[in-house]
Amino acid sequence: MRARVPYSASRAKFHPLWTCHARQPHTRYATAAPLRPEIYDVVCVGGGPAGLTLLTAIRSTPATSKLKLALIESQDLTPARTWKLPSDQYANRASSITPKSEAFLSQIGVWPLIDPTRLQPYHHMRVWDGLDSSSQISFSSPSSPIATMAENSNLQQALLQRLEELAPFSTFDSTKVASIEDGPSPSSEDSLDLSSYPSLTLSSGEKILARLLVGADGLNSPVRTYAGIPTRGWDYERHGVVATVKYLERNNHHGDNKSVIAYQRFLPSGPIALLAMPGNYATLVWTTTPSKAAKLKTLAQEDLVALVNAAFRLDNVDLEYMSRLDGGHTEELNWRSRVAGVEEDEARIPRWVDSVQQGSVASFPLRYRQTDTYVSSRIALVGDAAHTVHPLAGQGLNMGLADVQSLVNTIEYTVKHGGDIGDEMYLDRYNREMWMQNNRMLGVTDKLHKLYGIGWGPVVGIRSLGLKMVDQLGPVKGWLMKQAGGIGT
Amino acid sequence: MVAPRLSALGNCSRLARGFHALRSYATSSSSVNPTEVSHFNALASTWWDPHGSSRLLHLMNPLRHDFISSCHALKPHSTSQEGLRYLDIGCGGGIFAESAARLPNTATVTAIDPSMGVIEVAKQHARKDPILQEPGRLEYLNKAIEDLEVPQLPKEQYDVVSLFEVVEHISTPAVFLTSCLPFVKPGGWLILSTIARTWTSWLTTKVVAEDVMGLVPRGTHDWSKYINEHQLRAFFEAQDGWGANGGMKVLGCVYVPGIGWRMVAGGERWGNYFFGIRRDP
Repeated sequence: MRARVPYSASRAKFHPLWTCHARQPHTRYATAAPLRPEIYDVVCVGGGPAGLTLLTAIRSTPATSKLKLALIESQDLTPARTWKLPSDQYANRASSITPKSEAFLSQIGVWPLIDPTRLQPYHHMRVWDGLDSSSQISFSSPSSPIATMAENSNLQQALLQRLEELAPFSTFDSTKVASIEDGPSPSSEDSLDLSSYPSLTLSSGEKILARLLVGADGLNSPVRTYAGIPTRGWDYERHGVVATVKYLERNNHHGDNKSVIAYQRFLPSGPIALLAMPGNYATLVWTTTPSKAAKLKTLAQEDLVALVNAAFRLDNVDLEYMSRLDGGHTEELNWRSRVAGVEEDEARIPRWVDSVQQGSVASFPLRYRQTDTYVSSRIALVGDAAHTVHPLAGQGLNMGLADVQSLVNTIEYTVKHGGDIGDEMYLDRYNREMWMQNNRMLGVTDKLHKLYGIGWGPVVGIRSLGLKMVDQLGPVKGWLMKQAGGIGT
Repeated sequence: MVAPRLSALGNCSRLARGFHALRSYATSSSSVNPTEVSHFNALASTWWDPHGSSRLLHLMNPLRHDFISSCHALKPHSTSQEGLRYLDIGCGGGIFAESAARLPNTATVTAIDPSMGVIEVAKQHARKDPILQEPGRLEYLNKAIEDLEVPQLPKEQYDVVSLFEVVEHISTPAVFLTSCLPFVKPGGWLILSTIARTWTSWLTTKVVAEDVMGLVPRGTHDWSKYINEHQLRAFFEAQDGWGANGGMKVLGCVYVPGIGWRMVAGGERWGNYFFGIRRDP
């Protein structure tokens, strides 16, 4: 890992695509246009958590609160504003919000608007090896939560609500970016020259100009394509299967928030995790091969439930066998777990899952991506447009929020010092702060994925030893937990 | 008129030598050195290239504002901090002038430079920002300070007169500084930054920056023209009506490759530094 750092850093610094970042020649703006398009200080493409947090943070920071902002989002934002689910249903897209992200969201006035009845903090985390159950590591943080589970929709709704409290800005929702090109050439030798400003043509036909164009527009970011910034990485031959599940009711239990545990077991095909939601609910994230993921999605509800329960209890060999069955998983699990003598202990394994919420099973392909740089002249990339991470450490959303926090700090610094917020020299502060930090997180999650994908005996032995050692070493464990909680940098 | 003040500077002063140098350029009443003008004309084209020869100046610019803010923060407040009038002398391609013009508490910025080439670059670059095109916000003049009409009324004078990385390029700094003084409004500040003449500055600015790393073009600096902080201090202490009630501030700054510019207390003794002095209200 360390050996890669200087190589990556020099690539970021001296890569010809970065220093020249020659944009493709674009068609010139029609000279006949009678009116100049509206110029916005910040145009954000993408109204997901990262994009909405960006706008909220800019508006909530005194020095930047008066900037002229525009949001372009391909979806209609009305359903996100009016989102409501009954208390016995949870959205399958939930994220683990680290204390650092929570502090940032509090600072910009969003956290108090999140529906607290739908949040679940957890104070304990238990991670173990699918091939050697004695090899485990557990984290506990008695005083403050390790992180808090929240549905992405809950966060998005709070963001939209907070934005309504703040000064208005232009929202172009249900609107796609049709094209991005360089701004108009000046009409004369001494007139205003906006040729360096990205000019966006929207699906409505409207044209707008951006002093700073922010790409919060996901994996296949059109903003990144326009900027000509290359992205590197690979697709893991893995899919993440998500679902909302309900545990069996338990009797006489006096558990409170402080006893909530997040469970993750590393199986050779990928980790499976159960992350508690309020009450008896939990979010399942099961990383596995595309074929197994497809199979999981077609299973009858009770078979899927049995397979999830098996995945936290049985040996990998038993589990592999069960995965190949087309039905009858419940009976199979019952006798196999009896034979194996599985001891039910909530400190070690999750409670029995009772049901899967109707329609909540979904899957998505997992990828590793890092762009060569997050900035170029009048361009900044945040969140998935800049990097895509394996979900095993639950860091994707948090990394996006950290990007936004850093970028808004950079914009604030630039405004306070009279800079042009599109100036690459200033934007570079954001890139320098976040690129290496994200690269480290990307690298660690990637190595964990690869390390636990190995089923070969000696490697299993060594990694088990390593995990046990880490579990015994207080300071190392403390450092790891800080990383996971986003407290460390 | 200048001579009695100079006597206060002590022997062997860089400022006194500058005074002698003035005689050798007897044909001109200007503080401007023609060699310097042509050097900066040659640099003009790359002034705004983020990876060009002026990169270090771009990176230093935020610290200039930090230093000015720290001067304004000194008690007692003598002028309003709203609607500030700036005069930027030796503005070059306009790095500081543009940034000052964008600040919300700025009324107007007048920026002058004797090099025609760099003023042209500055004007061209300002076309890229609609804010800078607002009437009265930013004006560039291809002039030396001696060519600018001396203001008679406080409202025509300036709250901030800045000389960033200028005095080390001037043949006759004492004369030059004396010409700048009447432009400062009572209660306003004269702010400058320059390089101390020490063995460390010779090593860093001549050997490392110009020869070894090529951070700035060869011949940008003439080490013998560098001015030490105590010389500036002595010059201003000899002026009536300047720097009373703690209205003087000095702060060193240092460039660390890979990190950037950092303010360093005491840095004025060995390299780059900022110097601010208030005209008594």
